[in-house]
Amino acid sequence: MPSPETFHVQSAPLQPLLVKEVWEILSGRALWTMLLLMCPLIGYSFFQAVSLYGEASSAGLQSPVLASSLSPLDGVLVPTLGASYVAVTLLFPFVAIRVLGQEKETGALRLLVQMPYHSATLITAKLVTVLAAWVLSSVPAFSALAIWRLFGGHLSAPETLNLLFGHLLYGLLVGAIALFAASVSESAATAAIVTLAFTIGSWVLDFTVAGHPGLLEWVASLSLTQVLRTFEQGLLSAGLVVGVGTAVCGFAALATIWLPPGVHVRNKLVRSIACVLVAAIVLGLATQIRLSIDVTEDRRNSFPVLDQRVLAKLAEPLVVTVHLAPEDPRYADLQRNVLAKLERVLPNLSIRLAGGRQSLPINAGDDRYGEVEYTYGRRSDISRSTSPREILPLLYSLAEVKPPAPAPGGDYPGYPLVAPGQFALLWFFCGLPFCIALLWWCSRRLPVNYRKLTKEVLS
Amino acid sequence: MDGVIRLISPSSPIRRSTPLSVEAASASRRADDQVLLRVDSINKQYADQAVLSDVTFDIEAGQIIGIIGPNGAGKTTLLEVLAGILPAEASDVQWLGTPLPPSRRREAMFYLPDGVRPYQDQPATRVLSFFADVYRRSADEVASAIEAVGLTPVLQKRVHSLSKGYGRRLMLALGLLTPHPLLLMDEPFDGFDLRQIREIVGVLRKEVTKGRTLVLAIHQLRDAERVCDRFILLADGHVRGVGTLNDLRARTGIVDGNLEDIFLALT
Repeated sequence: MPSPETFHVQSAPLQPLLVKEVWEILSGRALWTMLLLMCPLIGYSFFQAVSLYGEASSAGLQSPVLASSLSPLDGVLVPTLGASYVAVTLLFPFVAIRVLGQEKETGALRLLVQMPYHSATLITAKLVTVLAAWVLSSVPAFSALAIWRLFGGHLSAPETLNLLFGHLLYGLLVGAIALFAASVSESAATAAIVTLAFTIGSWVLDFTVAGHPGLLEWVASLSLTQVLRTFEQGLLSAGLVVGVGTAVCGFAALATIWLPPGVHVRNKLVRSIACVLVAAIVLGLATQIRLSIDVTEDRRNSFPVLDQRVLAKLAEPLVVTVHLAPEDPRYADLQRNVLAKLERVLPNLSIRLAGGRQSLPINAGDDRYGEVEYTYGRRSDISRSTSPREILPLLYSLAEVKPPAPAPGGDYPGYPLVAPGQFALLWFFCGLPFCIALLWWCSRRLPVNYRKLTKEVLS
Repeated sequence: MDGVIRLISPSSPIRRSTPLSVEAASASRRADDQVLLRVDSINKQYADQAVLSDVTFDIEAGQIIGIIGPNGAGKTTLLEVLAGILPAEASDVQWLGTPLPPSRRREAMFYLPDGVRPYQDQPATRVLSFFADVYRRSADEVASAIEAVGLTPVLQKRVHSLSKGYGRRLMLALGLLTPHPLLLMDEPFDGFDLRQIREIVGVLRKEVTKGRTLVLAIHQLRDAERVCDRFILLADGHVRGVGTLNDLRARTGIVDGNLEDIFLALT
């Protein structure tokens, strides 16, 4: 029994806090319901992806040229994990909100904040729990990858890990927003509305304003769904990782600020403003980080290795002036095939749109519309091509360097596969839901050590 | 290091960077000044309505203090402000003569709110184990707390399925597992019958003999008279009287009056 004369604790252990958080999330229905809903969602996406990939592979098996265009990243991984993205967007907020919202609603938070933990420690523990919940909710997606391997499908480790890392960051971002929402809201329902305003709002933003020029394009770039795009393209971007990490830390910091009930609202507002300012500055700096790694096996985001080496040595600034409207499909091609690759390799590159961010009809009267001007040092040339096969020789000519000799071999072979996708449906519609239901039932039982403790007390 | 619990000594000034040590209640007993907690002018408003106005009182160590008042008197608000989980316009509190800001109240006191069922999906055992692990309680201490409040029959039940009385017992057991020298409890007897109240009073008395000080917010005057050593009479957010029953009798001139008579006379 407690005795003030003798009691002295130097530090509160973290383990009981983490154990409590994990049990809390395992005891609720939200996580298990989400898992059960994800089984058919991911299962059907996987089945469709494998079927379509199989159809394309039938032709690819006859022709090496066709086969080289078959990448499991695009054909199977992205669509399968796309279903996971939908679930994380729509369902995961409810799981993450429960981590804090339940304690707020039942009053347990008033006990928790009196315990010898700093608010930041409490929120960190909850964020770790959200991470654990994301890992658990990704079991259907992981099982889809395992089945793909069982079918004999190819998985490139860097591509797969990069994509999973992107989804992890997205899950953490949604979780951090949910924690912030739960922290500022009095009820879980309000927190859900706030979080869904972020996640579904981003989705709607993507549908409605993406592809539009000017301010709308900038607004669309703020969408949470943009987080995944780069990873789906097989790029590991340092700027994006730092940006998302900052956003996660920012929302977690805001949740920490709003957690203690004994602090005046005006103090919380002042601290929040300071926190948002710091996060905005770091986000601004993150946009300046251009380092990115092409993790794709077919090196779709890079020029051939020998070209990369030559281009990396071009010391003078290259200015690319594009006479195209941003929504013109040719601009998208040029951006994907040439400009994005140049940005990753050239140390001094500036790209400007001649018509600014003006739309297609405004640019229509321009005689030079469609031209792309490349200026290297004092020399310049013009091209209308969007293919690196024409642009690279033009650049070498401007820089007066010798083009590298084409290296034999090293071409991406492609991985065609015709697999019986319907067998996977059995797993996703019967086997996996049964296993999840079994685990749910097991989690409801009192663990052995608690039964032992109860027996000890009773005896 | 995060989460340091430091019991506060009269000799060490409370500064952020200095770890506070030591033997609070026993030290206070040795000290000339018996005041453990000095509350000076707590003011709390909701919008334009003053809920607590200039609430001032002292709490001495090793006693059971009753904050007495009807529903809406401000008892819960006072406890929450004291515990530092509700902001107030003014809340000057001194612990053994040293100012204790709201952010550090949890180092000296623990507050058990009314109507809270913590971690409803968990078995009672797990909730107790959580508190015991956080405060590094031994299995014997946990068993002792469980036995003291009579929680044994429902240990394996989930918190949401506990009756009101057992819910109270669980909260009380959690309070017993905390190490703080001062324990604040809101309506600790709500949901208990007469026999159970006597049991719980015994548990609380035993706790006081171990050096803890208890502050109970009670709206049932008979329960309060049965358990408390001193009373703080609260009505409409104002303190109407502070002292033992005899002090209050002397003040009101009601020689044989019970707490009910005195409360009515003072409010």
